[in-house]
Amino acid sequence: MADKNNFDFLANDFELVQSDGAIKDKKLDTKPTTFFRDALKRFRKNKSSVVAAVILTILILMAIFVPIISPYDIESVRTEEKFLAPKLFDAGFGFWDGTRSYEHILYDPVNEVPAVSEKYSIAALKQSLVSINVDPDITYIDSYNQYGFGGVLVLATDAKVNNKDVFLSSKTVEFTDKGAYTIDIEFDNEENFGEGKLGEYRVYLKTGEGEDDKIMIRDFSNDYSPISFDISSAMKENRLKNVSASIVFDVKSSTSSIQYVLIKSIKLGCGERAKNADVLAEVSFDNPTEMVGITDLQSNEYWSCSGRKGLHNSEVRYCDYVLDTYMLVYGNADAIEYSASELNEWIKKGWCTYDYKVGPESFVKLSNECPIDVVRDQKVLTVTKKLSSITGSGWNYHKLGYESMPRYLMGTDASGVDVFKRAFAGLRTSLVLGVIVFAVCFVIGLIWGSISGYFGGNIDLFMERITDILGGVPWIVVITLCILHLGNNFFTFCFALCLTDWISTASTTRHQFYRFKGREYVLASRTLGASDARLIFKHILPNSLGTVITSSVLMIPSVIMAEATLAYLNLGLKGVHSFGVLMSNNQQYMGVYSNLVIFPATIMGLMVIMFNLFGNGLRDAMNPTLKGSE
Amino acid sequence: MGKYVIKRITLAFVTTFIILSITFILIKLLPFERPIGDDRAQTTYFDRQYNLGYVYRLDLPTDKYGELLYKSPSNKGKTSYYYMVPVMTQYVNWLKNIVTEWDWGDSKTYQPNVKATVIIMKRIGYSIRLNILSLISVPIGIMLGIWAALKKNTATDHIISTLVMVFISIPKFVLIIFLLQIFSYGLGWFPSTWPTDTAPLAERIRGYVIPVFSLSFGSVCGYCRFVRAELCDVLESDYLLLARTKGLTRRQAINRHALKNAMVPVFPVIVSEFIGILGGSMILEQLYGIPGIGKLFVLAMNYKDYDILFVDMAIFTTISLLAGVLVDLSYGFIDPRIRMGAKK
Repeated sequence: MADKNNFDFLANDFELVQSDGAIKDKKLDTKPTTFFRDALKRFRKNKSSVVAAVILTILILMAIFVPIISPYDIESVRTEEKFLAPKLFDAGFGFWDGTRSYEHILYDPVNEVPAVSEKYSIAALKQSLVSINVDPDITYIDSYNQYGFGGVLVLATDAKVNNKDVFLSSKTVEFTDKGAYTIDIEFDNEENFGEGKLGEYRVYLKTGEGEDDKIMIRDFSNDYSPISFDISSAMKENRLKNVSASIVFDVKSSTSSIQYVLIKSIKLGCGERAKNADVLAEVSFDNPTEMVGITDLQSNEYWSCSGRKGLHNSEVRYCDYVLDTYMLVYGNADAIEYSASELNEWIKKGWCTYDYKVGPESFVKLSNECPIDVVRDQKVLTVTKKLSSITGSGWNYHKLGYESMPRYLMGTDASGVDVFKRAFAGLRTSLVLGVIVFAVCFVIGLIWGSISGYFGGNIDLFMERITDILGGVPWIVVITLCILHLGNNFFTFCFALCLTDWISTASTTRHQFYRFKGREYVLASRTLGASDARLIFKHILPNSLGTVITSSVLMIPSVIMAEATLAYLNLGLKGVHSFGVLMSNNQQYMGVYSNLVIFPATIMGLMVIMFNLFGNGLRDAMNPTLKGSE
Repeated sequence: MGKYVIKRITLAFVTTFIILSITFILIKLLPFERPIGDDRAQTTYFDRQYNLGYVYRLDLPTDKYGELLYKSPSNKGKTSYYYMVPVMTQYVNWLKNIVTEWDWGDSKTYQPNVKATVIIMKRIGYSIRLNILSLISVPIGIMLGIWAALKKNTATDHIISTLVMVFISIPKFVLIIFLLQIFSYGLGWFPSTWPTDTAPLAERIRGYVIPVFSLSFGSVCGYCRFVRAELCDVLESDYLLLARTKGLTRRQAINRHALKNAMVPVFPVIVSEFIGILGGSMILEQLYGIPGIGKLFVLAMNYKDYDILFVDMAIFTTISLLAGVLVDLSYGFIDPRIRMGAKK
């Protein structure tokens, strides 16, 4: 780069302006620079302030236009669409793509999806899974879970209920002489599991209520070896032809501790000629998890128990997965029922054609706006032979009233409302509030401060005491009192914030007046007979205006902060969209859906930081004493 | 000096008195809220209000005093009727109660028939403990400020100054939100709400970290900026140049001359911070669920328990005025040339 101080001048670079004669006492043609233009020039040199001003402008423009342009409805509650993840990019991008990742969630091995299907349909879950990572290690749990497998059935006596044996008894099964019935029972003998110990038990077939009506399979013992018992031969021994019996496990109770027996599986077998194979199959189980689940869920129990029945070492798997929340809510909706009037409306609009006399095959989709892609079924009224409804599948967002898949930059909150639009609508309210407060306080403070500062003496003393008292009350107290007396609305907020904020403007103005009122140029003007009004408005005020504006402009971010702070203290602005109320309402979901708080907090932080940077730059530019220095 | 001190204190006292009076009258002008509880509790409440001089107790109903507030159930054939005393008379009685018995009234709905002073005393400990702990910001802030000033216009200075600017600007609740998000929900190092008094000691200690951090972050930045500005000013002064000229090393000059003088205006700020921070923790107490007096403000609002609300407001008002006076006075003590508020 060339040296800045070395120039090569050529004679023809210069041109004489005029050579007619000497110029005397003529006004300069160049425009004189004004104070504000000068300030602007200085401001432009301060890069960080310019950047802050640009960002601030963008934020303000967004606050104005986002609520107007954004098509989403932020007034009504849409529970179906609640807690959608923030989405900027298409799903699968990696971040900010409307997906949410979950860790260590129970895995449903049958449907191969995470076990959250009670909330969503399996098809919808499968469709919206971006990735799933099933934990290769099996986890053993001791409680019933419908996605669990295996384990052992724990049959335990409660030590507190003394002298009462605990039994597990099956549904009554019909055994005839035609079948070859067998029963195979497997036990587990794990010691010291939980509290209590392995107890004595017996197994028998209960054919009646009496003591004698028992076909013993194994009498009271501590033998946990597998049992393989031939029921048919036992029946022959007892000379029984047809028996309806239930299988009973009896655990001997003890006063000292809890006694338990661990049963791995029970299998009832029968020959080919038996009629009741399905009943036997129902009573048999080799998966205690399922067995506990069935008896716990259904009223006609296959196995009933008088004591405590539990599970031990049931196998479950966990998985980590990433879910596209948008697909889940707006994705392909199978089997949605549409009424005939809805369908007729679409046909009228020319979106599709359909002839119910032909059936579902006659459906032809003509326009993308048509909410359904395929008609699966139709219902025709039996009497009038008219179409009552069709069942079809399509994109669910059509059903919810959107033309395309919505995309919420900051996700949705608990009421299914776009946080992005709501945040900026709230910011707009805050900004309007800030500007009104700024304007009112600026005018009042300027007048008050001018009078107080210009006249001084007793007037000043009196006015200062009033501001002292008003300024002494914490602003929260003032606002609380105002809200209690005037109700919670926009104008109360304006009034209450004005009530406290004008004092700072007044005191800045007063200081400025003290600074300038003794200056020579004021004195000169006064000597020439200028009135008080002229001195104030023509001489002192223009000089102090820059500083006063700069200090007062920072009132806007402080009002925005005050509004949000009040919302966190349950005094939030009611009746309009409020930034603070949005944040404080979402605070409770912070642990789970952090986006609901983090995004608005970032906007708020950015806004205030930029305002302060901008204000600092403005102060440097407006304060001429800094002129020339870096 | 003595005269100046007396004048400042008297003035502050008068201001406090006027503010509290206005607040009291405004609170009393609010629509009457019925106390909660059964008849016995209500009768106790109204009898106590009668003793304090805030309601009339009559044996027969009358239209003279406006709306009937409460009709006690008949006790041995005697029924009492309670009416509101005019606000200005209540005000006089209130003054009398405070001056003679230090009686600030009872809670109405939040903890019915418990003295306001009792409720406040139970909670103020949490707030004070927290604020004393957050004084850790003083040494940190001053250190950072000195560091930034000594490295003026270097990368270190720019980084510190930028961070200070950012942290001074962002609202306190935003800071708390980010602290919670990162350290409680994200890393799980600290609890996300205030642990109860019965929680294990380690848990309770960890519970202090986020509140102390969020309280002191702002003031660390405040001290840092202030000290930096002061020290930069002093470092460029003539007497420091003189100190260097007479042969002192830079370190000696800074230690013996610059630091001492730079600390003069810092001290009063510390004093005010110590008291003023008490009032600043309202939002933190609400967000973190700390059972201090800031949280009490919100509770009293929710319960519409205006007597408690008033006492709480009175504390915050007095604290903020006291802080102002202390700052002015300490300026005067440390640097006798400065007399804030004295005749110009």
